[in-house]
Amino acid sequence: MAATPAARRYLKRFAPTMIAYFIALFGANWAMETWHPTGATLVALAILPALPIVGVIAVIGLYILEENDEYQRAQAVQGMLIGLGFMLALASVWGFLEEAGAVPHVKAYWAFVTWCAGWGIAQCVLKLRERGAGGAA
Amino acid sequence: MNNRLRVLRAERAWSQQDLAERLEVSRQSVNAIETGRYDPSLPLAFRIADLFGMTIEDIFQNPSKETPQ
Repeated sequence: MAATPAARRYLKRFAPTMIAYFIALFGANWAMETWHPTGATLVALAILPALPIVGVIAVIGLYILEENDEYQRAQAVQGMLIGLGFMLALASVWGFLEEAGAVPHVKAYWAFVTWCAGWGIAQCVLKLRERGAGGAA
Repeated sequence: MNNRLRVLRAERAWSQQDLAERLEVSRQSVNAIETGRYDPSLPLAFRIADLFGMTIEDIFQNPSKETPQ
């Protein structure tokens, strides 16, 4: 991601959202272990760490909307689509392996982590390809 | 898409960064367009043409009229 104004705004939004995630994650875990809540309180505490993740997804969406450099936007979208393909392929393979009892159950929130990993790897490959074409910064 | 961007830039002694700043895009964008790895949208192609005082066809080669290498 080149240092365009939209990319700088993305980073400014991303950092506090991730800090909020860690606070929510550790706070919710601590509260559940300390007070053993039930009912609506338990549901609210369980959802709490997911909210910043939803925020991160919104921050990513805002970047795509605000990026005026069409080449950078196309590169980011390409990376995201590769990440999406990686996540869907892995989830499909894992699902059938899980059904056969060959692998353990994996919680659904790993889908976003897998997408991010796939996107990250794709961005690295796209950057290396760009450098190979003489486009290094 | 083949284009004359590198030549036109060199004639004016502009670096890729100079051209990128004039077009309000990243230097990577200029490089990708110059090397034919990225075809600009019509609005960006018009901005490039306006900057050089030319038409789009003067800068970008029509792919359907390109001679096979």
